[in-house]
Amino acid sequence: MATTAPAPARTAHAASGRAAAPAPRRRRAVSYPSWMLWPAFAALLVFFLVPTLLNFVYAFTDWSAFKQGFGFVGAQNFQRLFADGSLLSSLRVTLVWAVLVALLQNGFGFVLALLLEGDTRVNRGARIVFFLPVLLSPLAVGYVFQALLRPDGALNGVLGALTGTDVSIAWLGSTTWTIVVVSVVQAWKWMGLSMLIFMAGLKTMPTDVLEAARIDGASWWRTLWSVRFPLLAPAVTFNVATALLGSMNGFDTATALTNGGPARSTELLNIFIFRTFGQGLYAQATTMSLVLFLTVVIVALPVILYLRRRENVL
Amino acid sequence: MRATRSARTLAVAAAAGAALLLTSCAGGDLTSSSGSEGGDDAATTWNDATADLSGVTITFGGGTAGGPLDGAIEAFQEETGATIERVTYPDPYEQNLQTRVATGDIPDLASWQPTTSMLTALQAPANLLPLDDAPWLDAMDPAVRDIAGFVDGTRYAAIVSSPSVMGVYYNKAVFAQYGITELPQSWDEMLDVARTVQAGGGTAFVEAGGAQWPTQWAVQMQLAEAAQDGLWDEVNAGETAFTDSPIIDAITTYQGMVDEGLYNDDLRTATFEDQSAHLFAGEGAMALQVNALLEQLLTQYDAQQIDDTLGWFPISTDGTVATTIPDNKNGIVAFKTGDAEREAAAKQFLTFLMTDYYPTYIEDGGLVSIETDVPNPDTVPQLAQDIAASLGDSVGSMQSLAIANPDLYINLASLLYGEMTPEQVAEATQQQFAQLAQAQGAEGF
Amino acid sequence: MTATPATLAAPAARAARRATRARRPGGPGAGRRTAGRALHDVVVVLLAAVVVGVPLWLVLVTASKTTAEAARPDLSLPTEFALGDNLRQVVDQGEVLLALGGSLLVTVPAVVLLLVLGSAASWVLARRTGRWNAVLYTVGISSIVLPPAVITTVLTVRSLGLQGTAPGMVGVYTGMFMGTVIFFVTGFARNLPIELEEAARLDGTTPFQLFTRIVLPMLRPVIATAAILTTLSIWNEVFYTFFVLGGGDTTTLPLNLYKVASAAQYVNNWNLIFAYVVLMSLPMIIVFAVAQRRIISGVTSGAVK
Repeated sequence: MATTAPAPARTAHAASGRAAAPAPRRRRAVSYPSWMLWPAFAALLVFFLVPTLLNFVYAFTDWSAFKQGFGFVGAQNFQRLFADGSLLSSLRVTLVWAVLVALLQNGFGFVLALLLEGDTRVNRGARIVFFLPVLLSPLAVGYVFQALLRPDGALNGVLGALTGTDVSIAWLGSTTWTIVVVSVVQAWKWMGLSMLIFMAGLKTMPTDVLEAARIDGASWWRTLWSVRFPLLAPAVTFNVATALLGSMNGFDTATALTNGGPARSTELLNIFIFRTFGQGLYAQATTMSLVLFLTVVIVALPVILYLRRRENVL
Repeated sequence: MRATRSARTLAVAAAAGAALLLTSCAGGDLTSSSGSEGGDDAATTWNDATADLSGVTITFGGGTAGGPLDGAIEAFQEETGATIERVTYPDPYEQNLQTRVATGDIPDLASWQPTTSMLTALQAPANLLPLDDAPWLDAMDPAVRDIAGFVDGTRYAAIVSSPSVMGVYYNKAVFAQYGITELPQSWDEMLDVARTVQAGGGTAFVEAGGAQWPTQWAVQMQLAEAAQDGLWDEVNAGETAFTDSPIIDAITTYQGMVDEGLYNDDLRTATFEDQSAHLFAGEGAMALQVNALLEQLLTQYDAQQIDDTLGWFPISTDGTVATTIPDNKNGIVAFKTGDAEREAAAKQFLTFLMTDYYPTYIEDGGLVSIETDVPNPDTVPQLAQDIAASLGDSVGSMQSLAIANPDLYINLASLLYGEMTPEQVAEATQQQFAQLAQAQGAEGF
Repeated sequence: MTATPATLAAPAARAARRATRARRPGGPGAGRRTAGRALHDVVVVLLAAVVVGVPLWLVLVTASKTTAEAARPDLSLPTEFALGDNLRQVVDQGEVLLALGGSLLVTVPAVVLLLVLGSAASWVLARRTGRWNAVLYTVGISSIVLPPAVITTVLTVRSLGLQGTAPGMVGVYTGMFMGTVIFFVTGFARNLPIELEEAARLDGTTPFQLFTRIVLPMLRPVIATAAILTTLSIWNEVFYTFFVLGGGDTTTLPLNLYKVASAAQYVNNWNLIFAYVVLMSLPMIIVFAVAQRRIISGVTSGAVK
């Protein structure tokens, strides 16, 4: 988002002849009343902030399904969690997943946006078709692809028909590659949204720069990478941000597809957390969500800030 | 100025809210009010099975839809005028019910695994109604009556059907094909049979690695004799670990069986349905499974077909001691809701089910009878009767006898993928067990 | 770039002119262009058919099969057309009408509250300056970054006496997605020209009238974006629904999908599951089909500024 906006506004204000208000800030505060903030923040406070803060507090207790009440145990949960390797492996899986989803979802979305740029009827129809997965419930998508990817499922059937042999690849049964398969499914679901954002960015590009490139005889490819892609920075930021944050905190599709298997190779941290909840170890589960939060802050935020800064530079 | 005030107010409000919630939960139980007097009174009174309950509504959590429980619930509603609402908990059933209970959302009755570890997970002494003086206990087969459902000597779960048992299902035709005429009487003999089949070009064992949960039976069945000698008591006290003999040995043996090639090709990805299909079709000789396998086959074939095709025998390291593992269809628990009327109604349903309605219940479900005076229905396959007969010489499983239920099967599934060695499986399972035991406040952890 | 309607029109018009220029027949290279376009269209149609068409075809075809046939879902046509039966069974078993009502009862108020409260707060956050304002903004958008805290949320709802009720669920969603709304609307509102607001204030309009009469209309694109994104998230949301609404009288469409999927113990009744998926997705698809141009332009113009 452009940072130049406020400047012209203030210039216009000054130019209108009014004397600089003695305390423009105070007058502004009066005209942007607090009461308009309160309802939103009240809802946020009660239904989100309090539970979340409480959640983090419980990480320092021994709250579980096995006893009434609880006591404080300091950082014991954290120490134990890191001593046992499963938290770190879940974190690794989550990061791999988030990166893959961000790349694939936006990669597909970008390709689709370029492909369907023109305003032809075919393109407009295709845009709708590619947006349909976005409307489906992630749970439903998980079930659909579970059926498609079975060793005796439709995908292998189609491949078998194409190659003339009997194909029975266990797409969801590889400890190395299933995480990629699951990321592809997630990307499939959301690429339509990504595509739309990129298309918006492409459509609102300053045409003078593009005209200049055309006049200079730059090829389509060259124009794409040297001129258009840099100008798409805001769209890239938005898409990468939503993909990263969405995938780190969301897990419906993955749960429905593999429930963390095979052999925990697709066990996202949220799936692990839910499993720990299910065993009755509530304090440990909240410890893990605190760790997840810190991971998101440490990993995703710098990436997003970097992209934001890149927008301004470009 | 205003902004500062807003932000500060926000911070104070957040802290106040958090503190309020914490204090309301600390010390007090997280579930809704415990029964107190109403509950204690209800704990000792048992209504007649068909006493009038008009106007009372209770909820029943879980329970297979389309099973004999449906008939029981309908009949109860008719006979007593009570209303029973069914509540569905999606898979994983136990986790979801537990979590809901933790948030205070308690049903009146629920299907639940009547094992010590699972009852402890529900905080049985605090949340469940004791069933020690239930009126139907005397009518039960002694071999079954005290086999499960206890925590610290108090009975908290009603056993409603013959507990599930780990055993070996074998395909009769395949055994005949490879000239196997006598059933194995020990683990080693079973492995000899397996090797004979394998040498003849067949597949000895069928495993459902894709479903994960069946992988633990091979390990647990080897521990039967040790369990009879008190293995799980030692584990519960922290004296023996999963990394010690005999548990680590059992895991290593399982690894050996897999490495020897005694299993099906799709070992790692086969689903539960695949496993039963393979076995029934004769694509494998044996499957180490629990009653669920039989129940699954009964949805596709009738008792005669099953008896013609399959046989069953128990096995353990040195003999044929069966290992029991009651599942959530074998037990029902009643919760302390604090409402004396509902608690009495819940218990009355149990009485109704286990006395007046019991013959119809087992007839509907084709179940083996666990009451001495009620005969088995004709539709019960011989297989099911063999399984029930093994209860006389049986011992409890990890789920039945250990105080906590670690995810052994998930670690074993990793073993199948070559991701974990037997030592790592044992280590991970022990750590998890210790964590759960510690959360319970068990001594020695 | 300031996003006034005026500045948007110019490049759009220029793009349109260029497009028509490209479509004019005749001239050198026209033949190549048409052939290129034909190839492009073929590629697009093929891609759409394979990538999206195949999975959706699987859903439709399996939903039309009997349970036995659907046990191993593949792309073949059903031998016995059972779509009607399956839908009927699902409507009964899955209580689709009840669930639809529940979904509407929860989604509509939540989205309305989110947009109204969220945009009001966002405007204030966008216009004010100062450190505390920045702090409030960060707190405001925190719900985007923080992970789910199920049990504590349910405990909170329970302590308010709203466990198992639709208002409780609406409250939870309003808290959960407020961050998303604030994030979008604040960014957009910051770039709105302040002259109009200043002018109106000089005329003596109250802030409230200012907001409703002048600012809100200008915020329409981003409110459309926020509306779409929150509606999508809430309509399909199942995790929190299970814990907050579970055990109550209200149920939603995703929640009942669970019921349908776990109904048969040993067999995956794919035909019923997919029949339910068809029904569950229909409302969203219908809304999208009807309002698709509005939706697409809303998402595109509201998100990228």
